[in-house]
Amino acid sequence: MSILEPACYLLFWILVPPLLPGIINRVKAKVAGRQGPPLLQLYYDLCKLWRKNIVLSTLASPGFLIAPTVAWVATLTAAMLIPLAGAGNINPFDGDVILMVYLLALARFCTAWGAMETGSAFEGMGTAREVSFAVLAEIGIITAMLTLIMHSGSITLVNMFIPLSGSNATLLAIGVFILLLAENCRVPFDDPTTHLELTMIHEVMVLDHSGPPWALILHGAAIKLMLFAIILVQIIFPVSEMPLGQSLLWLAGGVLAVTIAVGLVESLIARLAFRRVPLLLTIGFLFCLFPLLLTWMGMSYE
Amino acid sequence: MYEIITPILLLSFLCAMIGSLAAITLPRVWTILTLIALMSAFGAGCFVLFTHTSWQWESSFSLSETPVFLQLDALSSFFLLLLAVVAIAGTIYARSYWPDSRYPHSSVQGRLWWNLMLTGMVLVLIASNGLYFLLGWELFAVSAFFLITLDSHNPQVRNAGWLYLAASHAGTIVLFAFFTTLAVHTGSWELGPVTHLPELKPLFWLALLGFGIKAGIFPLHIWLPSAHANAPSHVSALLSGVALKIGMYGIIRFSGWLPLPTLAGWVLAGAGCTSAVLGVAFALGQHDLKRLLAYHSVENIGIILMGLGFGIVALEHGLPYWGILALAGGLLHIWNHGLFKALLFFGAGAVLQTTKTREMSTLGGLWRCMPWTAGLFALGSLAICGLPPLNGFVSEWLIYSGLLTASTLVTPLSLGAATIAVLLSITSALALACFIKVCGVVFLGAPRSRQAENAKECDWNMRTAMLVLAGACVTIGLLPTLVWPVLMRVASTWSPSALPNIPPALISLGNAHLLLAVLGVVTVLGMLVFVRNKIHRAPTWDCGYVRPTPRMQYTAGSFAGIITAWFSSILRPVTYQLRPTTFFPVKATDISHTPETVLKYLIQPVGRVFIVLGDLATSFQHGRIQSYILYLFMALLVLVGAVTMVHLW
Repeated sequence: MSILEPACYLLFWILVPPLLPGIINRVKAKVAGRQGPPLLQLYYDLCKLWRKNIVLSTLASPGFLIAPTVAWVATLTAAMLIPLAGAGNINPFDGDVILMVYLLALARFCTAWGAMETGSAFEGMGTAREVSFAVLAEIGIITAMLTLIMHSGSITLVNMFIPLSGSNATLLAIGVFILLLAENCRVPFDDPTTHLELTMIHEVMVLDHSGPPWALILHGAAIKLMLFAIILVQIIFPVSEMPLGQSLLWLAGGVLAVTIAVGLVESLIARLAFRRVPLLLTIGFLFCLFPLLLTWMGMSYE
Repeated sequence: MYEIITPILLLSFLCAMIGSLAAITLPRVWTILTLIALMSAFGAGCFVLFTHTSWQWESSFSLSETPVFLQLDALSSFFLLLLAVVAIAGTIYARSYWPDSRYPHSSVQGRLWWNLMLTGMVLVLIASNGLYFLLGWELFAVSAFFLITLDSHNPQVRNAGWLYLAASHAGTIVLFAFFTTLAVHTGSWELGPVTHLPELKPLFWLALLGFGIKAGIFPLHIWLPSAHANAPSHVSALLSGVALKIGMYGIIRFSGWLPLPTLAGWVLAGAGCTSAVLGVAFALGQHDLKRLLAYHSVENIGIILMGLGFGIVALEHGLPYWGILALAGGLLHIWNHGLFKALLFFGAGAVLQTTKTREMSTLGGLWRCMPWTAGLFALGSLAICGLPPLNGFVSEWLIYSGLLTASTLVTPLSLGAATIAVLLSITSALALACFIKVCGVVFLGAPRSRQAENAKECDWNMRTAMLVLAGACVTIGLLPTLVWPVLMRVASTWSPSALPNIPPALISLGNAHLLLAVLGVVTVLGMLVFVRNKIHRAPTWDCGYVRPTPRMQYTAGSFAGIITAWFSSILRPVTYQLRPTTFFPVKATDISHTPETVLKYLIQPVGRVFIVLGDLATSFQHGRIQSYILYLFMALLVLVGAVTMVHLW
């Protein structure tokens, strides 16, 4: 394996993800009948933020700058573990799926650490909510992965995505879509366009960041959205057995469809009442649990 | 080959004993001798583990016709290494944490009992004979009591000590029953594999109960939170890092030597799941820093049992690959928990020493005065949450790998494995919430009190102790392949054939950890250099935070509120609220507190029954001599009646 291959993956994961929030915003604008921001808005924002200065809270330690950086590295490393359709991933090994889930947890730890640095009631509230609801989200993710593992008989991410039966794939896709919305702080769990409401979860945690660290947080969020979208697409269309070019096209189309679906959900549904959030997360978990049980029963009757 | 270990261990023992004499007047000599003793024990342990030998030594000296028989094999050495590392760090730490200048009387006792406790634990580890095992066990249990109650002026400390002593002796009684039954069946006090005697199967439950009390398995953990919280911090570290593991040692040792009942593995794994999830749930409800850490010990003992229990389930299937992975993960977590928990207790001790409080909600913003402690505590937190690239993740990853591989089998076992995996993920997500709470409330934000504002960083002795442990955590995290041969040596306790090569996945994981560490360090340094001239300081913005006060920050209680509400039917938090009822602002109060529910609702009611019975018995004893003569007379009558009846029959 040459140095070129990892570099390609790295470039892909750095350059492509900021496109997704742009697509979502365009969909929302179209549904609302507005012109909307340019598709590449996030790229402009990131470049602008990278040149800006930082306003740091007087209470913040150096950890306030380190935490978003580590979170970004962790998210990026997690993303590198995800197989890209026929292209696979760089260094697959047994149990890389657990490493991926825990790298996302590391990113969460760092974001929460940064939020606690500022000593504000608002950000403390967001952190408390984020880490509490993350418990439910994490159960869902592990259950979804267990379904794939039980079905495919492999604990390596590259080999995990093989075709599920129609009903199982539908159930699991609904569950993972709910988790995608929750983990990426989209409507109906959270609203990425506002920071000012008391029902916020994730977005209040990053209120005090500015300049380059804020750029890393925005970029990390885009990577995470892309990561979940790619997992979701490969659950529905396991494209890894197609020829390379075709599978990548399918993957790109699928990710686009998921992104549009997120945009449509955001345009058509209002944010959930705060006390309902655990309920919806539990429903997401159940949508992942049923295919697990069905897979187990189906396979043990064979 | 192994004769060399005899003089090493003798040197260790002599240094420990002379050290305990020196402890009285010569603290510096004590430190040096204790360190020599521990290092030679460490050397002996390494020698056994890396040269594939085991050491045996039988003396002509005997007690009640039982000769002293000592043995250091892979399993004992595994625990001996942990003991040595944590105790070396603890000895250095104690020099500054419990100095003569501040505690003229109890510091002498502290040093003396420290050496005796270590000796007792080592004796337990190397005794190959039931009688000496129990002697070592008692020495260790009693000296731990004296160490916990070093600060005996404080009534809370005395209560915690008594609770510990009572629980510990309840365990000892069970172990007495266990060892004597074993001795009756085998005909001697000597310990060794007895798997050929299937009638001994039920003894495993007795061993699990007796050792489980020491290991702090839920719901036998009742002594643990108060003892760990009230002991001096270096003692807490030793208790949590090593003493609990001595209980685990008993369980592991006898799960290898006894014939196992059918459900043993599932019961262990089930106990592990309960301990893990409820341990961390109780931890979230605590406001006392050291009490919270103590509940995390319950949680981590649970994680260890998940791995070991599932590995023992695998034994029934001939110990396939997934069973080895789960066993290895459980074993490695024993080391890991010892290392990072001792580190966290040392950090908590540093905070306690300077601020004089364990109440988290009066702290805050300590990173400014204590950057070393804050940084090292953060490292320990990352490790205990099981986050890559540190050691906690390596052991959890091994357990997960075992569980996930087993769940690909299509048997009822795979559903069990999947359930344990989901519970393990809940545990680590809850642990993450809990340690964000601890780090955030104690070290970050604004100081909530004067003590927190004027805190002082701990001195170099204490920092060295923490750095040693932190270094061990990072090393195991980045180079996990180093420990695999050791784990396999220990796993041969159960099945001599369990010696596979290093799994390729573990090598890949090690590489991924190294890559992550390098990438993380480089990116962070790059970031810090990039922004060094771009920083302006201003008050926290937070959407227009006009007049911030430290009291507006989230406290330990409010942070954990959501999760403690989910678990409230088990945790039973006690809340006290004084709400304002008029239109104008008045004083309001909201206090919540999570008690030790098992103790309060289960053990104490049973205890009260015994107290009532005892009170009834005392009413017979009132000092009136006439009544006593009446008792004698009646007893005599009953006796005569009984004898006559027997004769007539």
